[in-house]
Amino acid sequence: MNEVTQKKSNSRSSSPASSLWQDAWKRLFKNKAAVISLFYIIGIILVAIFADVLAPFSYEVQSPENRLAFPNTTYWMGTDILGRDLFSRVIYGTRMSMSVGIIIAFCSLIVGTIYGSLSGYAGGQLDNILMRVVDILYTFPSLLLIILIRVIFGPGLFGIFLALTIVEWVSVSRIVRGQILQVKEMAYVEAARAVGVKHQIIIARHILPNILGPIIVTLTFEIPAAILSESFLSFIGLGLQPPFSSWGSLANDGFQAFKSYPYLIFFPGMAIFLTVLAFNLLGDGLRDALDPKLKNT
Amino acid sequence: MLLFILKRLFISIPVIFILATLTFCIMRVTPGGPFDKDKAIPPEIKANIEAKYHLDKPPFINTPAFHEKKWINILTETQYFYYMKGLARGDLGPSYKYLGRSVTDIIRDSLPVSVELGFYAALLAFLLGVPLGILAAYKHNTWIDNAAMFTAISGITLPSFLVAALLIYIFSIKMGWLPAGLWDGGWEYKVLPTIALGLRPVAIIARLMRTSMLDVIKADYVRTARAKGLNEVWVILKHVVKNSLIPVITISGPLIAGIITGSFVIEHVFAIPGIAKHFILAVTNRDYTLIMGVTLVYAVLLIIANILVDVFYALVDPRIKLS
Amino acid sequence: MKKYSWTRVSWIAVILLMAGLIFYAKPWSKKSLPVNEFRFVIASEPPTLDWSLATDNVSADIIFNLMEGLVQYDADLNVQPALAEKWDISKDGLRYTFYLKKDVVWSDGNPLTAYDFVYGWQRLLDPKTASEYAYFLFDVKNAQDYNSKKLSDFNQVGVHAKDDHTLVVDLWHPASYFLTLHAFWATFPLRKDIVEKFGSPQWTEPATIVTCGPFKLKAWEHDYKVILEANPLYYGAKPKIQTATAYIINEDSTALSLYETGKVDLIRRIPPLLIARYKNHPDHRSGPFLRGYYYGMNVLKKPFSDVRVRKAFSMAIDRTQLTALLQGNQIPTTSWVPKGMLGYEPEVGLKFDLDKARLLLAQAGYPNARGFPQINMAYDTRDDNKVIAENLQQQWKQNLNIDLGIENQEWKVYIKQLQTDAPPLWRLGWGADFPDPDNFLNLFTSYSGNNLTRWKNKSYDAFIEAGAKEQEPSKRLAIYHKAQKILTEEEVPIIPLFIDAQNVLIKPYITGYSLNAMAINILKNVEIHK
Repeated sequence: MNEVTQKKSNSRSSSPASSLWQDAWKRLFKNKAAVISLFYIIGIILVAIFADVLAPFSYEVQSPENRLAFPNTTYWMGTDILGRDLFSRVIYGTRMSMSVGIIIAFCSLIVGTIYGSLSGYAGGQLDNILMRVVDILYTFPSLLLIILIRVIFGPGLFGIFLALTIVEWVSVSRIVRGQILQVKEMAYVEAARAVGVKHQIIIARHILPNILGPIIVTLTFEIPAAILSESFLSFIGLGLQPPFSSWGSLANDGFQAFKSYPYLIFFPGMAIFLTVLAFNLLGDGLRDALDPKLKNT
Repeated sequence: MLLFILKRLFISIPVIFILATLTFCIMRVTPGGPFDKDKAIPPEIKANIEAKYHLDKPPFINTPAFHEKKWINILTETQYFYYMKGLARGDLGPSYKYLGRSVTDIIRDSLPVSVELGFYAALLAFLLGVPLGILAAYKHNTWIDNAAMFTAISGITLPSFLVAALLIYIFSIKMGWLPAGLWDGGWEYKVLPTIALGLRPVAIIARLMRTSMLDVIKADYVRTARAKGLNEVWVILKHVVKNSLIPVITISGPLIAGIITGSFVIEHVFAIPGIAKHFILAVTNRDYTLIMGVTLVYAVLLIIANILVDVFYALVDPRIKLS
Repeated sequence: MKKYSWTRVSWIAVILLMAGLIFYAKPWSKKSLPVNEFRFVIASEPPTLDWSLATDNVSADIIFNLMEGLVQYDADLNVQPALAEKWDISKDGLRYTFYLKKDVVWSDGNPLTAYDFVYGWQRLLDPKTASEYAYFLFDVKNAQDYNSKKLSDFNQVGVHAKDDHTLVVDLWHPASYFLTLHAFWATFPLRKDIVEKFGSPQWTEPATIVTCGPFKLKAWEHDYKVILEANPLYYGAKPKIQTATAYIINEDSTALSLYETGKVDLIRRIPPLLIARYKNHPDHRSGPFLRGYYYGMNVLKKPFSDVRVRKAFSMAIDRTQLTALLQGNQIPTTSWVPKGMLGYEPEVGLKFDLDKARLLLAQAGYPNARGFPQINMAYDTRDDNKVIAENLQQQWKQNLNIDLGIENQEWKVYIKQLQTDAPPLWRLGWGADFPDPDNFLNLFTSYSGNNLTRWKNKSYDAFIEAGAKEQEPSKRLAIYHKAQKILTEEEVPIIPLFIDAQNVLIKPYITGYSLNAMAINILKNVEIHK
């Protein structure tokens, strides 16, 4: 009980908006799993940025005489079929996987938020139509779209970003719309509308700040989702171009040989596992922390 | 109720029509056709094949008809019109890859397998996901909460081909307990695919259950019930779990439709003759009619699932009226 | 609405659930395996079992056990009599007369006649059938005209039944490979009454199909398995096994796991990464394969419009690196006709020669690759293609200092791109339809639809035409020698890399399964000693 009263007195002393975030931070830091995850993610991002410094070998130079070596003191994670150092490739793969995850999550978040807010705020017939469009896109065979985008934009990184964004934004827009519908009904929004405040201002001042929490939470869940989607694309042969490699494409390279060369699949798989887990735990932590209804628990 | 269902079905017709049109367009602008192979076919033979499958007509707009001033033929003498005409009669056309089979045959053969597998996976997801969510919420912010959520989340942390590889490696190769694939009728063939497919929905359901229960647990009527001194287990089961299940049920419709159709990797790796692998194979084979067929099946499944959820919703919550 | 209480709904749910379980629960699988069952793996659902329509290896894996042709191959791919007892070829090589065996009956007991062949060929050539492989009979008089609707009377096509057991075929021109075509499924006989009674495609279902090979079609569970059973009416030595089950497994690593856990007896594809591991396995068997792997160059596009660049690229590749990488007994090659075929000449072609390659590149105006345009090498997405492309990229970088990009495409997009507007440098393979050099060398004639290099050479075309007409093997050899020299030494539109090999795993208790270079899956001699 002491804690709660203390928290309340804190929030009185500062402005209400900032205290909400401060509270959230405090609650987040009490969640050990989320904190560890946060540090892990920061670490992984640093690895992605400084891949050139950290990787002991080049990711593309092949040494046929060292092919398919098991993990040893020189090659910490072993080598692949062309004799390339797996450790270095996983390090560089971090860069690819993280940029795929972050860029796609951001893009689909932006598109999804704009679309979802429009739909949710407008309501009525427009909402109805926009949501039917989402329904159609949701059922659309996305593989076709991905192949077509690769044909049009070439099989480079941009094609992957675009393809996965198109697939991922749909679910974001649904979440955002749901949030908007809730906030829209709140008294202060209705009041603002009643006094004739412009729609843009209502959305920007009153609605978006209130759904910022859920949006951030969605972001932390979208990043691992994008990483997993990219690995699925690698599995069906539509992933990154060589010599680039992501964790997903590395794991897929090793997939067929998992019985004989388990390390080829283990290390990239582990990287995916830990990172996706960290983002999910952080996301859960953030959601708990940002949910005002859970303040007193 | 019946009126509601009929109305919902009626509303979905234009959605399906637009979906079919859009899929048809994207499909036809994607390079490569069903009969493009590495061994080139002489042009006269290609003409025979195209005539047989109505692929000799233009896909969308018949420009020769335009020059001949046969205005109506501009739109009717097209592949799109022929396909839609067939579709209106319920004819999904012949497969272009599996030359002896119609798309309806393929769906009839493969859908029940995926439904069966999806049923097991959904069962697993509910039986495991709901208790995990309850436990996590009830023991909120304790190590039990963390452990339960960790268990649930670990199911969505790996791409499904890695999960399948891991399961096969442990249970088939190392232990020798379960077959590494096939679908020969016995229960032992169903265990690994069910687990591999069910892990993801377990995580989704557990997480949703936890969140929704945390909301409900603080509701006034729960406090009242507790204040009345009712048995704690009774309160949790009767008041909390019951009401927290509603969002879980809401999401279960699309979730199950997704489980049935989204198991490509699982069906591929375990050599299961289900429909999900056609979602990928039809596209890579450019089996035009089959692409359309499976897309429409998915759409119909989704629509039915959503209607069922709404009906169920109304049954559970008397406040909601179907309109 | 209140009456729909939660409890009632949950009861309904429980009952539905139980009903579902009971409905789905099947009796425990019985472990009694038929002793005489041979289980093997095919890589996909057979697109069709109708041999007028089949075009792929998987369908062939089944069809070759259900049916036979006028002739068949022995293990060394020599033509042997099958449904035909003997045949005469006229002096000018234009008329073939086949004499059928008299004791052959179909699986429903009806005798095989020459009319069954005439009908089979008519159906193959009928434009309404729309068979992709109709062109296999285009050497037959008027066949092409009938297929392209220029001629509607089939009696004018050069195939006739003289009597029940004599089939006469007239050709336009002599074709030295013509006999081998009758070991190919497209030319197999067909029962007119069956096809017309049940209609296409229903006649290929187990209940209706009538065949005359060593096996009958017992069951076909689509996308899952095809079950064959010994045909008691087969004219030859009866199969030793009672049933043969083909499991349809797309994923090679799954097939391997099932093999290792004893669920199947034979797998014919080993994931490329694993071949090295299984090379010394006692169950491993390897055999030659009439299949070449090459990189083609679009000679209309810079820089490969210059023959010196083409030569330099070919000379800068050490092919043994590739075969060492693949580990599957592939044979490095600089010439085009594969080992096991007339005209295999390993000494022909441009050998690995760095100095000369660099010199040629410099002469072409790119000393040490200076000024070399930025181009991509293209391949279709597949594990082994990727590894090969990455190795080649590295070799060209190290040996010629050329930085090539790599671009992979999904198969259908790729093949469409090659056929409409081929990129400068791309990979493909070619597998033999029949074991004759014409099938390989014809590929790069100016009129071949499969020549994606856009390279055209009149004297090459002339050699190939002469080779097809020549009946005398030693003379053919001399002609093909000259043709291969042009193709792989002088003009070099392609870089041949290696000849493929088959790698299979077969259980030690199986005998009588032999590998042939056409990868034809023959089960009639298989025995199980368990």
